[in-house]
Amino acid sequence: MRRPPRLVARTLAVTFVTVAIILSVVFIVLMVDARGRVRASEVEQLSVAEKVFTALEARRQQEQLAAIATVAENPTLKAALDTYFTESSFTGLPAEQELALRNTVTVEAEKLAALTGADVLAILDPTGRIFVSAGPLQDRWPGSERIAIPAGLSTFQDIAVLPQGAFRISGSVLSLVDRDIGALVVGTSLDANYARELSNLASADIVITVNGAVAASTAPDEVAADLVSAGSDAGETATLSGEEYAVRTLVRSGPARIYTLASIDAAARTATRDALTALATVAFGAFVLAGLGSLWLAQTLTDPIDRLSGEIAMMTASRDLRRPLPLTGTSRELDSLAEAFNDLVQGLTAAEADTRAAYLGAIRALAATLDARDPYTAGHSERVSAMSVLIGRHMQLGDAELDVLRLGALLHDIGKIGLSDEILRKPGPLTPEEYEQLKRHPGQGARILRQVPFLAPHIPIVELHHERPDGRGYPFGLRGDEIPVAARIVHVADAFDAITSARAYRPARGTAEAIAELQRFAGTEFDPASVEALETVLPLSTTTPEPALQELLGRQLA
Amino acid sequence: MQRVLFRDPRGPLTLVLAALVVAPGVYPAAQQLPAIVRGRVEIGIPITARRPTSAYPARTITTPKRAPESERRHVVVYLRDTRPQDVMPMRVAIHQVNESFTPRVVAVTVGSEVEFPNDDPIYHNVFSLSRAKNFNLGRYPRGDTRRVRFDRPGVVKVFCEIHSHMSATVMVFDHPWFAVPGEDGRFELPPIPAGDRQITAWHERLGDTTQRVRVESGRPATADFVLPVPEP
Repeated sequence: MRRPPRLVARTLAVTFVTVAIILSVVFIVLMVDARGRVRASEVEQLSVAEKVFTALEARRQQEQLAAIATVAENPTLKAALDTYFTESSFTGLPAEQELALRNTVTVEAEKLAALTGADVLAILDPTGRIFVSAGPLQDRWPGSERIAIPAGLSTFQDIAVLPQGAFRISGSVLSLVDRDIGALVVGTSLDANYARELSNLASADIVITVNGAVAASTAPDEVAADLVSAGSDAGETATLSGEEYAVRTLVRSGPARIYTLASIDAAARTATRDALTALATVAFGAFVLAGLGSLWLAQTLTDPIDRLSGEIAMMTASRDLRRPLPLTGTSRELDSLAEAFNDLVQGLTAAEADTRAAYLGAIRALAATLDARDPYTAGHSERVSAMSVLIGRHMQLGDAELDVLRLGALLHDIGKIGLSDEILRKPGPLTPEEYEQLKRHPGQGARILRQVPFLAPHIPIVELHHERPDGRGYPFGLRGDEIPVAARIVHVADAFDAITSARAYRPARGTAEAIAELQRFAGTEFDPASVEALETVLPLSTTTPEPALQELLGRQLA
Repeated sequence: MQRVLFRDPRGPLTLVLAALVVAPGVYPAAQQLPAIVRGRVEIGIPITARRPTSAYPARTITTPKRAPESERRHVVVYLRDTRPQDVMPMRVAIHQVNESFTPRVVAVTVGSEVEFPNDDPIYHNVFSLSRAKNFNLGRYPRGDTRRVRFDRPGVVKVFCEIHSHMSATVMVFDHPWFAVPGEDGRFELPPIPAGDRQITAWHERLGDTTQRVRVESGRPATADFVLPVPEP
């Protein structure tokens, strides 16, 4: 049969499995939920970024327009420009004046370009062609190139697509009191630099498209290409290059679109990694706590149980059931188990005592029957028992040995129950055949006692109480120390009581005579130590009643 | 933004045929006499007059009480291709009122002086980058006035260095055959020697339109203009 597992293993297993299941569920929920939250958060963040950008951009444009409107109020520029066109259309300009006026406009334009920090700044003639351009990218706005500007507005913003690239333009019409003489236009190239600048502003990737082609982008090329093919119908989210992106359109102007986008997958990866780290920490803590908790729980159960089973094992080994099992006080269930055990033991002890009493009663009846068969031996067993205990106590036997001695002495002649009345009551000497029959009584007694398990310790007394130190006793002819002390004592007490009792064929003799008789045969027939002890305790025998013997005999003490 | 339409009440395409009845010739037939040329200028497209787009929005400018000058006053009608003549100098004033030059267009003879009195409560400046007269009168306050003498024929654009939207035009002629129409658009050129002549009406924004006019001895001729010339 398989041994059942230890309790601590079971509690640990249950706790760990529970924690693991809870953590797994949390993990799954976290993963599913985290993605949803990240998506919502990215979309929301991008929308906020768009709002912030729009607000900033509106303000920036307003400021830029104000700045441009201010710089457009440049009297020298206007005067030179107006003079140039008025005079060239009136009479034509001589070369040196044409150059002088154009230089004046160019110098002013360069000053303004430096002032505004623009990529490129141009002065347009009244027909919208570039008259003069300045700024770092002035080469991309060559003279006579047309830049379409919205009609009817004094300041404007738009997207201008030139062969040399697309530009965000802001400008102001140059006007005199009654008419427009041209325009001042500041252009920002929709290139990688601008995309980077916007990307910093929006804290997200930027893709700029012009006429459905990517003009500049801070996102990976495939993503930008996918965004273009998805077109302007891209909703709040779009799958680009296999990843999910949140997308917003920042600017929708003419052929140009400026999108901002943020990868939901990338953000989800980050969020998931963070969540996993946190979860791992929690899991570690949970396992440690659960382990400690279940260990403690198991210990509170197993320790007292181990203690109880140890106690019971000890009681079993020592056959001592009188001491009750102590209560552990650790749990009600264990205490009631211990109490039940104690009740059971008590019941068993009581039952055993009853059984013992019943056996004793039966044996006592046997002894009494034996005594009753011969009036001369009446009370003999009781006296031998009392005397033996006195001798044994003097010889410093232990309580347990005395108990055995007491009952063994009481039953020492039980084997005689099988002898016939003729032999038992014969007033004269026995014939050799009759003596052989008599010598069988110790063996008979031992056979009788063997029927009762708890009388096993008493058998040697019954069987060997006629052995002699010189080896001439019966039934085995043991010598000296081969004979148990108890049997030697009972032999001496038996002989003493026989000498001091009357028989049908002779009168009783005195104790002094009996002692002398015993002393004479001490060493050959009797054990000298026992004889010496008898001599010492003899005065006590009449004065000290033996309560244990009275109890054994079932008599009420006075 | 204020839009003012200068439109003939009878319709933009309607030519105003000046009903000029040429008087029966009373001059001796042998002598070719000069003759005046009369006419009328119409402006056939709407003119947008802008208020100054001030870079200084905090400053308030009182709205002009006077009705704006008729756009026809910004036209100069003159005879083309003439040889220089001796002309009498003229004296003309261009006022600086409400941050604008008034009148905005003047025509003078060579040698004339133009005065620029400042009637505004603020400083003004008058300067020009034009070939015919390059000058800068500096800044001066209300009540002050400066004058410039124009010794070369041509167009002179005049600006204010302080107020970039202000501009005026001075046309300098080395002959006497020029005129600025009245508010109703009518003009009359001084007697021109008879012959085939070209007369031009010039507007600072609409450009110029030239007509051939046959000036017959002693008989007033007619030249009507619609600016700009409708596309044929």
